[in-house]
Amino acid sequence: MNCEVCHLKELEVEHYEIREVLRCILHTIIFHRALGLVRPKEIDLELFEITYVQCGDEEVEKKIDEKIDQFIGWAEKHPNKKSQICLSFFEVKNKQVSWFGKQMERLFWEHWYISLNVAQQPKVHSLKSHNNKVVDTGENILEERSIRRASLEASLRDVLFQIIRFVNDKKEHVPPIPNREGFISFPYEIAIPSSSDSAFGMDMFKRMLQTGHPTMLSSD
Amino acid sequence: MASSHSDSARMEQIITEFFAKSLHIILESRTPCISSRNFSGEQTVSSPSSSSSSSSSVRPRDKWFNLALRECPEALENLDLWHQSNLEPMVVDVVLVKRAINWEPANFYPKTELFKNLSSKELHTNCWNSDQEELGNERSEKIIERWIVQYEVRKAKDAGKGSKRSSSSILSSIYKKSMLLLRSLYLTVRLLPAYKIFRDLNLTGQIRSFSLAHRVSSFVEPFTRREEAEMQQFGFAPVDTSSGRLCLSVLYRSSLSDVSSEPSTPMSPQLIPDYVGSPLADPLKRFPSLPVSHGSPSSLPFSRRHSWSFDQYRASPPSRTFSPSPTHSEPYASASNPSSCRFPPPGLPPHPSEVSHAHKDNASFDEYYPSPIFSPSLSPSPPIYVPGSNLSRALLRSESAPVNILATKFLNSPMLFKNQNFPPSPPLRGTRYGPSTADKSMCPSRDVATVDKMSFVGRDDIGRPSGLQLSSGSSAHISYSRSSCRSFHDDFDESEYTCPFDVNEDDVTDSGSRVDLFDKRGHAHDPLQSASFLPIRKSPGAAVGALVDMLKKAPPLHQDFSNMATASQASQASRSETWSNSFHEYCQTPKAISAQDGTSSVTSSALLASKTTADALEELKGYQEMKNLLLSQGGTGRSQSVPNYAAAAAAVVESAGRGTVKF
Repeated sequence: MNCEVCHLKELEVEHYEIREVLRCILHTIIFHRALGLVRPKEIDLELFEITYVQCGDEEVEKKIDEKIDQFIGWAEKHPNKKSQICLSFFEVKNKQVSWFGKQMERLFWEHWYISLNVAQQPKVHSLKSHNNKVVDTGENILEERSIRRASLEASLRDVLFQIIRFVNDKKEHVPPIPNREGFISFPYEIAIPSSSDSAFGMDMFKRMLQTGHPTMLSSD
Repeated sequence: MASSHSDSARMEQIITEFFAKSLHIILESRTPCISSRNFSGEQTVSSPSSSSSSSSSVRPRDKWFNLALRECPEALENLDLWHQSNLEPMVVDVVLVKRAINWEPANFYPKTELFKNLSSKELHTNCWNSDQEELGNERSEKIIERWIVQYEVRKAKDAGKGSKRSSSSILSSIYKKSMLLLRSLYLTVRLLPAYKIFRDLNLTGQIRSFSLAHRVSSFVEPFTRREEAEMQQFGFAPVDTSSGRLCLSVLYRSSLSDVSSEPSTPMSPQLIPDYVGSPLADPLKRFPSLPVSHGSPSSLPFSRRHSWSFDQYRASPPSRTFSPSPTHSEPYASASNPSSCRFPPPGLPPHPSEVSHAHKDNASFDEYYPSPIFSPSLSPSPPIYVPGSNLSRALLRSESAPVNILATKFLNSPMLFKNQNFPPSPPLRGTRYGPSTADKSMCPSRDVATVDKMSFVGRDDIGRPSGLQLSSGSSAHISYSRSSCRSFHDDFDESEYTCPFDVNEDDVTDSGSRVDLFDKRGHAHDPLQSASFLPIRKSPGAAVGALVDMLKKAPPLHQDFSNMATASQASQASRSETWSNSFHEYCQTPKAISAQDGTSSVTSSALLASKTTADALEELKGYQEMKNLLLSQGGTGRSQSVPNYAAAAAAVVESAGRGTVKF
């Protein structure tokens, strides 16, 4: 089974924007992989004029929020770093014994890499601040912030379309829909830098083995 | 072969359901009233059980593609309407319908009109409010999205391509891919700019100047190049099937901000030019024109102007009333006609802007007249009450307000008007020209109704029977036009044309019948008036003129007064006519006349809602005293600035009354 990888366009976000941005992206991806009977739930972002769709499953929502919380915690400890979140879909094979001693093997068939560049604080533009008074600087900051927000919104929109395009272009690798009651989404995992090093590292390691190209995650 | 047959049947079904689902997804997020948003809240409450985990509450339709959607009656309807074979493309146009809200009262037309181009089934505009309806609307449509769902049949030779796999697996694969495609569609629909409009319409209960409609058809109406240039395309990857492929694509406008904010191009050009040049805009213009109209021959050009300006004028009918130049007593009648024609417009649903106009123009009262006039025709005594009540109300509220009220009433009960008008002479035109009887009857009521001193002057002008009838006719027409629902321009034109202008122009100008008619009228009036009124005019006229001068100085009524002054004389004459006819008794006794005046003045003052004649008399006496005071002071007295506009008006009225008394 081939494994498709999608690297989403990097987004520059401020810390307080992480949650919404990640929710939007993760839910959008999972909605496309939730091929069970779903009742879509549309959510308006608060920070951006964007509406995304959830698959309406509480478990999914809960899991995503947990991961986001973890990531935010991690981001607080590692300010001003680029980071990646990886959403991976897999199939579970019981029969094969994994090399790592587990009974269940995960056969990944898709990886989504979400790249965030978290800016802890709005940048103060030294050039402008030199010449202007404090008030002006404040105004400039506000103005820049709104500009930045708008550009982030556009970028986020682009990312969503990137997801849609990818989903459209790559369909063959999606496994058959399990014909069981209660199936909502293909199994998935969300790997974040803050995850236990072993799990995350293992995933990275496996991915490297599979795809053959270096991970984009930077540990520094 | 049986299996393949069933497979192909299933494939057919998948395709059919794909069309249905696509349409459902698109319309669900483009049809405002369905309000997915509102639904969502409900959904969480009611549908949790049905949420993916439990399929108990899931409708069969929801199971298709494992995508449970909200109820969308539009989608079902349209699907039924479209109801094409799978081989036909399904084209869903999402149309931004923009209504310009005009400040001009003139633009009222039924919302239905707005959508005349779209069939009712096609239209799903949910956001119209009654308030909106009242506002003038100009509609423009713009296709902002075009979704094309299509099943392209592959050539036979390619059909066997997927034969290696089992047909069932092929089917399930196709089904899975179509599910993915539909999920993408579900997301995309919400990411495109049009969704924002949909959301705005749904989330904010506010009245909007735009709405969304949609058309579902099986053919593509080509865009112009310019339109195409403005559109972007997003094509979903087609889903290959054993015999063809399912295609889904959308053309959309990438920026809709301009669309929603800026008035549509079509409407603006039409309205604006007229508006600028319209007499309303420039009071001076229209006034001059009016005097000309007085002359029967001149009336033709005059009417013309009205006709074209008329549309615009609706907003500011009052000024028209004044327009009649007092100079010619007879001319009034003709003048009144045009003015009356205008009046109808006021009758139209009150516009805020209208109100303001009315307020500005003293004439606004005059406008009312037409309506009151009508009531009288029905029954001599009642007239007063009908108009009076209206007027009083209006007056109490505010000068502008009354107009609105009257207008609304009229609008509401077009039939009444017609009836009223018609009793004298059913055909409007006929009545107009034939004037004397109908007009006369109307006149009295008019006087009563006019209540205003201001109106007093104007009243006479208005009072001219023909004018009144015309106005009434026009009002009726207007109401009709609404029902007919044309573009508001059309309405105006129609009303105009239906109004005296149209008829008059053709008939009068062409045949010159108008003059004759007027003459007839004049004759009719003359007999009645001639004895008493002619003298009155002259002697009182001077006094009135002085008063008028004073009035002119009053700031608010300034322009109107000047007009009124001229008109006042005429009004007197007309008044006399009316009296002679319907209020014969009153005429006989000057007191009675004065009483009428008094009532009118009272009402005009807006102090009292409804006055009895006795009250009116009392008031009148008070006014008379004031008048006497002023007169006693002599020329200086006249020169004195009358602080109160009402007082001045009263004085005028009295002077008029006095004249009659003398005679």
